[in-house]
Amino acid sequence: MADELDLNSLNDEELVGQMHDDLYDGLKDEIEQAVHILLGRGWQPYDVLTQALVEGMRVVGEDFRDGILFVPEVLLAANAMKAGMAILRPLLAETGAPKIGKMVIGTVKGDIHDIGKNLVAMMMEGAGFEVINIGINNAVENFLAAIAEHQPDIIGMSALLTTTMPYMKVVIDTLKEKGMRNDFIVLVGGAPLNEAFANAIGADAYCRDAAVAVETAKNLMARRQGSVQERARA
Amino acid sequence: MPDAEIPPVGRRGAGRAARRAARLAPVAASVPFITRRIPLYAVLNDEGLALIEHNADTVLEEVGIDFKGDAEALALWREAGAGIDGERVHIPRGLCRSIIAAHAPAHYTQHARNPARSVVIGDDHTVFAPAYGPPFVHDLDHGRRYGTIEDFRNFVRLAYLSPWLHHSGGTVCEPVDLPVNKRHLDMVYSHMRYSDKPFMGSVTAPERAADTVAMAEILFGADWIDPATGRPRTAVTSLINANSPLVWDATMLGALKTYARANQANLITPFILAGAMAPVTAVGACTVTLAEAMAGIAFTQLVSPGAPVILGSFCSSISMKSGAPTFGTPEPSLVLFVMAALARRLGVPFRSGGALCAAKIPDAQAAYESAMTMLPACLAGTNFILHTAGWLEGGLAMGYEKFVMDADQAGMLQTLLNGVDLSPGGQAMDAIREVGPGRHFLGCAHTQAHFATAFHTSSLANNNSFEQWEAEGRQDMAQRANAQWKRMLRDYEPPPIDPATDDALLDFIARRKAAFPDSNV
Ligand code: B1M
Repeated sequence: MADELDLNSLNDEELVGQMHDDLYDGLKDEIEQAVHILLGRGWQPYDVLTQALVEGMRVVGEDFRDGILFVPEVLLAANAMKAGMAILRPLLAETGAPKIGKMVIGTVKGDIHDIGKNLVAMMMEGAGFEVINIGINNAVENFLAAIAEHQPDIIGMSALLTTTMPYMKVVIDTLKEKGMRNDFIVLVGGAPLNEAFANAIGADAYCRDAAVAVETAKNLMARRQGSVQERARA
Repeated sequence: MPDAEIPPVGRRGAGRAARRAARLAPVAASVPFITRRIPLYAVLNDEGLALIEHNADTVLEEVGIDFKGDAEALALWREAGAGIDGERVHIPRGLCRSIIAAHAPAHYTQHARNPARSVVIGDDHTVFAPAYGPPFVHDLDHGRRYGTIEDFRNFVRLAYLSPWLHHSGGTVCEPVDLPVNKRHLDMVYSHMRYSDKPFMGSVTAPERAADTVAMAEILFGADWIDPATGRPRTAVTSLINANSPLVWDATMLGALKTYARANQANLITPFILAGAMAPVTAVGACTVTLAEAMAGIAFTQLVSPGAPVILGSFCSSISMKSGAPTFGTPEPSLVLFVMAALARRLGVPFRSGGALCAAKIPDAQAAYESAMTMLPACLAGTNFILHTAGWLEGGLAMGYEKFVMDADQAGMLQTLLNGVDLSPGGQAMDAIREVGPGRHFLGCAHTQAHFATAFHTSSLANNNSFEQWEAEGRQDMAQRANAQWKRMLRDYEPPPIDPATDDALLDFIARRKAAFPDSNV
C-alpha cells in the first residue's frame, strides 16, 4: 500500500512511475494527490494526462486484454483515472489541448440489458473519455436531451434484443432529420448486432466489445480532430 | 421403461419387411412427460435452506424490491400489506410465503391441443423444452446467421418429431425477417400448426400476450373453458424474467398480469449472471433469486389467485476477466440444487437447467458444458427444463446439430430418471437360473423378451469399430447430427388440425396484422 509513502518526496520520474502503479492498483486518492503535485510542479496538464494517466491505463488495458486483471480491478483503475481526469479536464480545455472526447451512452428504448454497456462506459472512462451514462430504456428524446445538455463528441448505443436493435436507427434517423448526424460519432454495440447491421442503420462503427469500443472511439476522435484542425488551417 | 409392454418378436411376425419398417421408423414419443423414480439429490440440509429463506425475507423487508412503471402493482402490494416507497416495495417477513401457500398450485396441467401430449408441471414430473430466445441460428452448412420464420418453423418441427422433448418451447429462435410488432402472431401460430405439443407465449408487450391468449382460445374452441372450474384451461406457459437485482419492470409485469388473469401459467424467473446481477457466492445468488421469485410469484397470486406459476432460476456466472457470461460451470449447478429444494419448500413447481454452453459450435465444449447443467437439473428434480435442446453461445444462437444432439441426450436422461425396475422382470431371476454359470445371456428367454428396449440407444453415438467408422467417412457427432436433422425435416408431416380452427386462427392473424402498420420499434 502507498499509505506509508509521501508522494511529495518522489522526483518527477519516480512519481510518474508510482502513478502507473497506483492506477494499476486502483488508488483513487493517491492519483488525485499525485495529479495535484505534478501540476504544482509546473507540469502541463496535457503532459500529466499523457505521460502519467494514459500511459498507466495503457498498461491496465493490456493486462486486462491478456487476462491478468479482473473486471473489478479494472473498475477501480478506471475510477482512479476518472478522478484524475476530473481535475485535468477544465485545465485541458483552457490550454486548448487535443480533446480525448465526451460520450453519451445508453441502452435503447424497450431494452433493459446494461451489463455490457456499463463495461463499455467503464473502459471508456479508463481511457480518459468523459462518459455520460444515461442508463436503460432510452427513447430518442432522452438521447436528444443528453446531447443538448452535455454536447458530446460520441453517441454510444447498446441493444441486446433483436426487437430493440431497430430502434438505434430511429435515433440515427432523428439526428439526420435535425441535421445533427454529422456532428457526432455514432458507435453501436450489443451481442446480437453485427457490422452489416451497423452499416445498414448508418452508424459510424460496430464495436464487438469494450476494448474495441475504446480503440474505435480513439481512432475516430483522432480523425475528427485532424479534420477539424485541417479545416481550421484551410 | 420398467413397466412397458414388450412387443413380441416371434416367428409369427411378418418377416423382414415388417421388422425393418418397425425398427427404422422414428420412435414414437414414449411418454408425454417424465415421472421421476430416483431420489432427489440435495446439497444443503434444512438448516442451510432455512437460513437462505430468512435472508431472502430480510432482503424483501429491509432492502425492498422495485415494481417499475406499474401503478396497479404498487396498489395491489399496498393492499396486501407491503410498505411502498416510490416504486420500491418493502414486503413484511413471511407475507410472500403466506400468499403463495394460500393460493399457488403445487402442480398444474398445461394442455396441448392433442390431449395425449398435455404435460403435468410440478411434483415429481419433469418436462423437457427446447432452447428459448436466440437471435442467431447455426448449422454446419451455412454457419451462423440471423434466424428467420422458416428456421423458427423448422425448430418447432424438430421438437415435434423428437420423442424426448415434451414441449414445443417458445421463442425457439427469433424470426428477424418479420416486423417486430407482428412476429409474435406467426411464432404462436407456428407452435399451434406445426406441432401438437404445449408451447409458450409472447411476453414482449401486454397486447402480444393478449394475442397469444386469444389464439389459444380459438385453438381450444369448446374446450377452452374448464367446466369444473369455470375458468380457462391453462394452455400457455410464458417466460417472465426479473431484471435482477431486485427489479420487476413494466413490460414483464404487463405480460404477467395478462396471462395470470386468463389463468395461463407464468414462469417467474430471476435470470442472474452472478457477479454482475447478484453476489458471487452461491448463497448470495440464491438469496437474491428467492427474494425476486417470491415477490413475482406472490404478485401473480395477488393478480389472480390460483393462477399457475413456476419458480424459475437461471443462474450463470460471468467471466470476471471479461464480463462475458459463462455456462456449464460448477457454481451455478450448486445454485440449481439449492433453488430446487427451496421451490419444493415453497410448494411450487421449479424450472431451471438446460443444455447450456458458451460454445459457438457443437463441439466438445458444447457437450461438456451442456452435460454439466442437464445432469444436475435432472438430479435436482427440476419440473420444467427450458433450453434442453439447441442452445449455443450463451443463448445467442440456436444450433440445428446441437438441437438433435441435445434431444438425444434428453432421451438418455429420461431413462436415468425412470430409475430402477424392481419388478420380477427387472430382477431377471429366470434369466440367471436359465443361463447358469459359464454361458451367455444373449439367447435366453428373458433377453429375447427385453433386448429391444433394455438399453437406451443413442441415435447419434457411433459405437462401431474404428475400421467401420473410417469406411463410413470418419464422421464426427456433429456431421451425423447434420444428416439426422435434415432427414427429420425431409420426412416431417404436420399433425392434423381441424381446417375450421386453422381458418379461424389465420383469420384472426390477418385481422390483427391489418389493424395497425408494421413497425420494427
Ligand atoms: C459504444 O456502444 C457500445 C459498444 C459496445 C457494446 C455496447 C455499446 N453494448 C454492448 N457492447 C459490447 O461490449 C460489451 C462488453 O464487452 C458486450 O456487451 P454484452 O452485453 O454483449 O456482454 C455483456 C458483458 C454480458 N452479456 C449480457 O449481459 C447479456 C447476457 C444474456 C444472457 C442476457 C441477460 C443477462 C439478461 N436478459 Co436477456 N440476455 C440475453 C443475453 C444472451 C447473451 N449471451 O448475450 C439475451 C440478449 N436476452 C434475451 C431475451 C429473450 C430477454 N432478455 C431479457 C432479460 C434479461 C435479464 C434482465 C434477465 C438479463 C439482463 C440484465 C442486465 N442488467 O443487463 C428479457 C427482455 C428484457 C428487456 N425488456 O430488455 C427477455 C425478452 C427474456 C424474457 N422473456 O423475459 C435473448 C435475446 C432475444 C432476441 N431475440 O433478441 C438473449 C440472447 C438470451 C436468450 N437466448 O434468451 C458487447 O456486446
